[in-house]
Amino acid sequence: MITVNLEPDGKVIELRRTRSVLGALNKLKLRSTMAIVVREDELLTADRKLYNGDTIMVRKVTSAG
Amino acid sequence: MKCQRCKKLACVALPSHHAGFCKDCYPLFFTRQVETAIRREKMFTHDDRILVALSGGKDSLALMLELKLQGYDVTGLHIDLGIPNSSEGARSKVEKFCDAHDLKLDVFEMEKWGLPIPDVKQYIDRPVCSICGKMKRHHFNRIAREGGYDAVATGHNLDDEVARLFANTLRWDTAYLSDQGPTLPAAEGFVRKVKPLFRLSEFETANYSFLKGIDIHSAPCPYSTGASFTNHKELWGELEFRSPGQKFQFYNGFMQRGKAAFANLEKETGATLHPCDTCGSPTSVGTCSVCRIKASVAVKKAEWLSESEYEAARARA
Repeated sequence: MITVNLEPDGKVIELRRTRSVLGALNKLKLRSTMAIVVREDELLTADRKLYNGDTIMVRKVTSAG
Repeated sequence: MKCQRCKKLACVALPSHHAGFCKDCYPLFFTRQVETAIRREKMFTHDDRILVALSGGKDSLALMLELKLQGYDVTGLHIDLGIPNSSEGARSKVEKFCDAHDLKLDVFEMEKWGLPIPDVKQYIDRPVCSICGKMKRHHFNRIAREGGYDAVATGHNLDDEVARLFANTLRWDTAYLSDQGPTLPAAEGFVRKVKPLFRLSEFETANYSFLKGIDIHSAPCPYSTGASFTNHKELWGELEFRSPGQKFQFYNGFMQRGKAAFANLEKETGATLHPCDTCGSPTSVGTCSVCRIKASVAVKKAEWLSESEYEAARARA
């Protein structure tokens, strides 16, 4: 299971059967250039693998005023 | 994915550039894009004094830091809008950022000036975002003019510019289409306005801000829910995904082949500007819209307060 801290919404989401950043973004209905993804202070590109127990921060980049 | 420059593991993938960069090389890409924008659009030189509008978001703070790193004479200007549970946070982030990077900062408070944005929302029956934007542009220009600055720089990025161009095109707003662009030259009463991040997307500024460790104010404005520019950005995000590079093509194509036609049209039909009777800012009528809104809010607020006092007195009796 992957734990996602979604910003700026402030939500925590748990994703099952997700093995890559792209997979996580797809489940969150985000394109790869609509959010930055961070694991342990490291930026991740969409092709990076995720592992069971990972916690990632997904920060949407569209400013809303 | 490997870094295009050094072949290490990439941390940022940019489909529109067919490239990826590692954490050390990405800031160089960002710097080159800003340098290119400043040079090609003749925005300013190292002799100019630049006032940078700082909202506390990723774009304005990234711009301020990048211009400082490139050796420009920059001063930040933050406008405290007076919005409860929002403005305090934004202001705090800006102040801490400027302290941390030893940057000059001015703060202008709308409440002290007599018009906090909540009053605009309460007493003016028009979309608050458009009035708030008008107020901010007015004060950026006024403060830059009074302070003798050569240019006002804002953190507008490619997504902002494309969303604005798209909205103006949907309305065929010839006045706005005539002067949209990354550099708006100085004119009578107006300081030069520049957008050095116009070649970079929001995704690109977000990555830069993260890699530079900038602590941003990311909470959306509580008044901006449902704003049309957010919907336009989502539409363009989907278009860009299907066809990477389309945002820049749309914007650059307009600048090279479309803008001149609208500018010529506006020369024939555009209004002549004069100093505002009240504040001296340029306007096409006697009193500028900012001063008219301020006066209107003052009248409506006084009416509302006197009605409230009357109701309270009646309740006591």
